[in-house]
Amino acid sequence: MASASPQAASLIRRLTRGDHKALGEFYDLYAGLVNGMAIRILRDRAEAEDTVQEVFVQVWQQAARFDPLRGSPEAWLCTMARSRALDRLRKRSSRREEPELANPGSTEAPKTEEAIAVRNALDALPPDQRTALELAYYEGLTQSEIALRLSEPLGTVKTRIRTAMIRLRGVLGPSS
Amino acid sequence: MNEERLLELVPLAALGALDAEERAAFEAALASSPAAERELAAFRELVGRLGLATAAVQPSALLRERLLRATRPAAPRRSFLVPALAAGFVAALAGLLLVRGERDAARGERAALEAEAASLRERLAAEVAFRELVSHPETRVVSLAGLAAAPQARARVVWHAGRDEGVLLASGLAPTPVGKAYELWIIADAAPVPAGVFQVDADGRAVFRLPAGLEFAGVKTFAVTVEPEGGTPAPTGPMVLAGAVS
Repeated sequence: MASASPQAASLIRRLTRGDHKALGEFYDLYAGLVNGMAIRILRDRAEAEDTVQEVFVQVWQQAARFDPLRGSPEAWLCTMARSRALDRLRKRSSRREEPELANPGSTEAPKTEEAIAVRNALDALPPDQRTALELAYYEGLTQSEIALRLSEPLGTVKTRIRTAMIRLRGVLGPSS
Repeated sequence: MNEERLLELVPLAALGALDAEERAAFEAALASSPAAERELAAFRELVGRLGLATAAVQPSALLRERLLRATRPAAPRRSFLVPALAAGFVAALAGLLLVRGERDAARGERAALEAEAASLRERLAAEVAFRELVSHPETRVVSLAGLAAAPQARARVVWHAGRDEGVLLASGLAPTPVGKAYELWIIADAAPVPAGVFQVDADGRAVFRLPAGLEFAGVKTFAVTVEPEGGTPAPTGPMVLAGAVS
């Protein structure tokens, strides 16, 4: 599967050696992706940028922990971005309502074959499965919280999410 | 929790969508099932990849600068010993420490570097001791000249009898054959007393800190001979350096 991974892998090797210039190059490749995820989760431009900063500092400090056998650099970055953005979201939810972002900024269509495949696989899910999955993915809700939000039985929600995940895995296969 | 139930929960667990109680039960049971652990790793990787579908949004241009400023490595700190020590030596030490800081140096390479660091630390300690020694008013110095076996050799012994300390600095000595070393002797009225065994570096130089407990009183001559590398109680090999104490 064609993706930016070969370039990313070589950048990660340079990062592991403490090559600071590689961090700038890595950032140029992926800042849009990480920021896009953070904006989607946080709906706040300034908080999203703080998240982006945190993620790339973590990349700089922990590049050596990246294990190519466990997935692509992109998946690793997305995991870090999602986890940090959801942490912020949880801290915030107790003190204020989430702001609606009127204009998320100029977005870019997915460029790599892998990103297009993921987008297509999500688009092909039945809407009720996709909705349940996205509530877990972008809002960090648990199955009970999703059931409450959708006014559906818990068992139904669990089945929808599990079915969606298994289907996505079948379509997308193991990582390249 | 049996394995079938574990496997059923894996996709939800990978997403982080289990409720607290179920998550705790899942995590507790996970270690008992390698199959569930493998599935969880695979689904977590899938969860990571799903992020690729999110529309990319470029952050503001200032963020790049902010990140690079926050992560910029500090310039290596200069040693306070710079004025006292050969610049090359300090540069080698600083370079070595930088290299050691690299996170994924191969293990063998690291062992070699650590050995080199240890030897540089030893040299540094010798040089610091030497600097302290020469700055003392009661410290004495004698020059040793190369003899027929090593006409290019030069050396000085710097010692302080009261503090029981001494250093030999030598240059122009050929590295000894395998199994041999240079041995320093203190010659007073009686038989020569061994004062330590040393080697020279590839450039024929040595900075050798004399062992503690030597008796310098009444010394008339310092001399260096070539001996078996473990040292001998009395000189047996050719003498390469000698200097009379005035």
